[in-house]
Amino acid sequence: MSAVLQNLVNQPYKHGFVTEIESDIAPKGLNEDIIKLISAKKGEPAWMLDFRLKAYYQWLKMDEPKWPNVKYPKIDFQAISYYAAPKPKKKLSSMDEVDPELLRTFEKLGVPMHERAALAGVAVDVIFDSVSVATTYKQKLAEVGIIFCSISEAVQMHPELVRQYLGTVVPVGDNYYAALNSAVFTDGTFCFIPKGVQCPMDLSTYFRINTEESGQFERTLIVAEEGASVSYLEGCTAPKFDTNQLHAAVVELVALDNADIKYSTVQNWYAGDENGLGGIYNFVTKRGLAKGTNSRISWTQVETGSAITWKYPSCILQGDNSVGEFYSVAVTNNYQQADTGTKMIHIGKNTRSTIVSKGISSGHSNNSYRGLVRIAPTAAGARNYSQCDSMLIGDKCGAHTFPYIQVRNQEAKVEHEASTSKIGEDQLFYFAQRGIGSEEAVSMIINGFCKDVFQQLPMEFAVEATKLLGFKLEGSVG
Amino acid sequence: MSMSMVVSNSYLDSILKGQPQLPPSSTTWFNQLRAHALEQAGTLQVPTTRDEEWRFTDISPLTRLPLRPSHAISAPQVTDVKRFQLDDTTIRLVFVDGAFMPHLSSRLEGSEHEGLVVTDLSVAVATHASVIEPHLGRLAGFENNLFAALNTAYLHHGALIIVSRNAKIQKPVHVLFIATQAGTAIHPRCLLIAQGGSEVTLVEDYVALQDEAYVTNAVTEIALENNARVNHVRVQRDSMEAFHIANCAVSVAHASCYRSVSVALGGRISRYDLNARLEAEGAECFIDGLALIKGRQLADTHTCIDHAKPPGTSRQSHKCIVDGAAHAVFNGKILVRAGALRTDSAQSSRNLLLSARARVDTKPQLEIFADDVKCAHGATVGQLDHEELFYLRSRGLAETAARNLLTYAFGAEIIDRIPIASLKYQLEQIVLEQTEKTGP
Repeated sequence: MSAVLQNLVNQPYKHGFVTEIESDIAPKGLNEDIIKLISAKKGEPAWMLDFRLKAYYQWLKMDEPKWPNVKYPKIDFQAISYYAAPKPKKKLSSMDEVDPELLRTFEKLGVPMHERAALAGVAVDVIFDSVSVATTYKQKLAEVGIIFCSISEAVQMHPELVRQYLGTVVPVGDNYYAALNSAVFTDGTFCFIPKGVQCPMDLSTYFRINTEESGQFERTLIVAEEGASVSYLEGCTAPKFDTNQLHAAVVELVALDNADIKYSTVQNWYAGDENGLGGIYNFVTKRGLAKGTNSRISWTQVETGSAITWKYPSCILQGDNSVGEFYSVAVTNNYQQADTGTKMIHIGKNTRSTIVSKGISSGHSNNSYRGLVRIAPTAAGARNYSQCDSMLIGDKCGAHTFPYIQVRNQEAKVEHEASTSKIGEDQLFYFAQRGIGSEEAVSMIINGFCKDVFQQLPMEFAVEATKLLGFKLEGSVG
Repeated sequence: MSMSMVVSNSYLDSILKGQPQLPPSSTTWFNQLRAHALEQAGTLQVPTTRDEEWRFTDISPLTRLPLRPSHAISAPQVTDVKRFQLDDTTIRLVFVDGAFMPHLSSRLEGSEHEGLVVTDLSVAVATHASVIEPHLGRLAGFENNLFAALNTAYLHHGALIIVSRNAKIQKPVHVLFIATQAGTAIHPRCLLIAQGGSEVTLVEDYVALQDEAYVTNAVTEIALENNARVNHVRVQRDSMEAFHIANCAVSVAHASCYRSVSVALGGRISRYDLNARLEAEGAECFIDGLALIKGRQLADTHTCIDHAKPPGTSRQSHKCIVDGAAHAVFNGKILVRAGALRTDSAQSSRNLLLSARARVDTKPQLEIFADDVKCAHGATVGQLDHEELFYLRSRGLAETAARNLLTYAFGAEIIDRIPIASLKYQLEQIVLEQTEKTGP
């Protein structure tokens, strides 16, 4: 039993390699000048610089959050370089001109862009370190009026849209890391689906952290106008480094009347070695505003990487009858720590939310679910159902549940259930009887445990996620 | 916690004003315990909503209440307290504003023969020192708990119950704490030691003669030795203006079983912290609670069930019935320590909101450090079921009667678990009366 678990825990990181591309790196440290430098490098308008500086001054007044159930050495924010861009060689007009080194990286990650673009019909806005270098399918999307580009491009091309929505869901001073992100974000994705448009394909972006010791501060803004719908996929892998890398992204979603946004994530960043050395610090603020009547925001995440994950994709259900969903699988191994969950803020009438969270911890890891369901006095008829299940593999790990339920409306109905289980010897025995080896049995049991979440993933991701869990848990029970 | 010696806080000053007037005990360790607690209280701050443990309970109104030390000026007569007596309880200890009242209490001399010591702590501390010392002030630690520290600094009178080895006490022990004076701070104390194989039922009861503002700051310590069984019933019916802060610490030893039912009815702001530690193999605990509040009341219950050793069993059901603009808070933590394998634990938090302004904050919390465990928790918040109401009305019940019946049924599940018929009856009447006043 324990040997299989050991193996499961000891899977080497399969995406650990560094692409050597010359980077244009800003000096380490954070001050007003650095922010001005970032803004100037990107040729931003004055309002954008004001936004950054406002966030920076808020950040100076804030303290790092102490409440998460995670432990890590204090981060020296002055030892981080806040800007790194691959040196532009020349303007790229087609995929063939993309740095072959870069393409090889994606090859190793199993992201055949041409194939993916052509066969799967996915437009991939590739983000490498912080600057977008290749965008496909932009044309096709533009035909139906969808804007899908890097956020720095959007600042240049669609300033009125960015200005209208940026910072409205996650204000600059929302929390410590969101403020930091607002001050120094270098790039990210902007996506705008105009009125009545159903996005013809799943949109996706591959994020990758490459330059050692450069924190990555992504900013994503997705706006779906009245009656629009979009499904957005985010996949993450990062190469292997021994020093911890900080990642503080902000994702904002806005859904107007009858709009529908589905946001799916598979996160498999470097989690540190078996002794807990290295790995990414993933401190992310993700929030969706279901602003319009009948709008819907759905988060699905599969979190398998990062040394520390601190992430609560949330829904503010402001519009009447709006719907929020959160489906999550979080797997922790070795010395990984995850404090993740969601917030469902019910404001509008008859708002509904569903939370399904599955946590799997093994090795010496700690996996916490921290969720908030708040029913405001205005949310008559609100309904929430939460389910969070934990599975423990080995006796050195921990699983924790912190569900906050705050109800201020008598017509609301809130239900929360949680359970904890392990892979039982009897289950493995049952499989063995039928000629199924323990490794495969574990994989099947885990996949069954996570089925409710995987079903929510788009097809490509569901396959990837199942594989990912397979890697992670391979040979863990013997 | 801050170690600064700032006692400049006028609230702490006023609450500590009476402490130096306490008569010193003849027992040295007892005096030392008090002094240590006083010193500790001086280093602690009054918790605010910025502290996670007090996030939903703002006790600043408590700190604005001018306090004076309590002096038992006029001891109430037997007739005054008659209504609080439980018929089938013959063993009764009565405290008025914290002071022991022998004339209102049962005559205790004979009970010694049955393997039971029920007496006032200030007297027993000399005679039963060796039994008391390992538990008093040790189960309910006060290093990080201002209110427990204050209570311990005021250690003097208190209920002491020692059940001898293998003694099975049939009659419940009723400890009645009566508050009579406005603007005072009372520090009730209770210590129950159930020795190996013994059985006892304890009723801890907080009442008031008038509707006045005062502070009750209670600490209860319960030690169950191997194979002991304790039934602990706690009824908080303080005045509607009162502040009630209580800490209860329980240690459950090998194969012993702790059952607790707590009912919170009174108090403008009430807070009950129950910590049960399952210290050895086969320990069990069953913890149930009911908060029935209305108006502007706030009732906060924090429990922690600490599974320290394998295998332990715990069950918990907590219910809140919230009317008016009242606010119920529940935080139930189940901790399974590393190595506490085969722990079996289940917890439920169910909440009934009866008015549009009622508010509930609940947080059932699991912290698990062992893999071979069975832990589950659930929480629900809702209103009375329209279909159930319709069903009752279709059988001829008026709307109000139907609502009352359903509300009563919701609360009765907890009250039914109280093993004393007369108390059960009294509480059922209170629930019925409270719900009768509330119709739509």
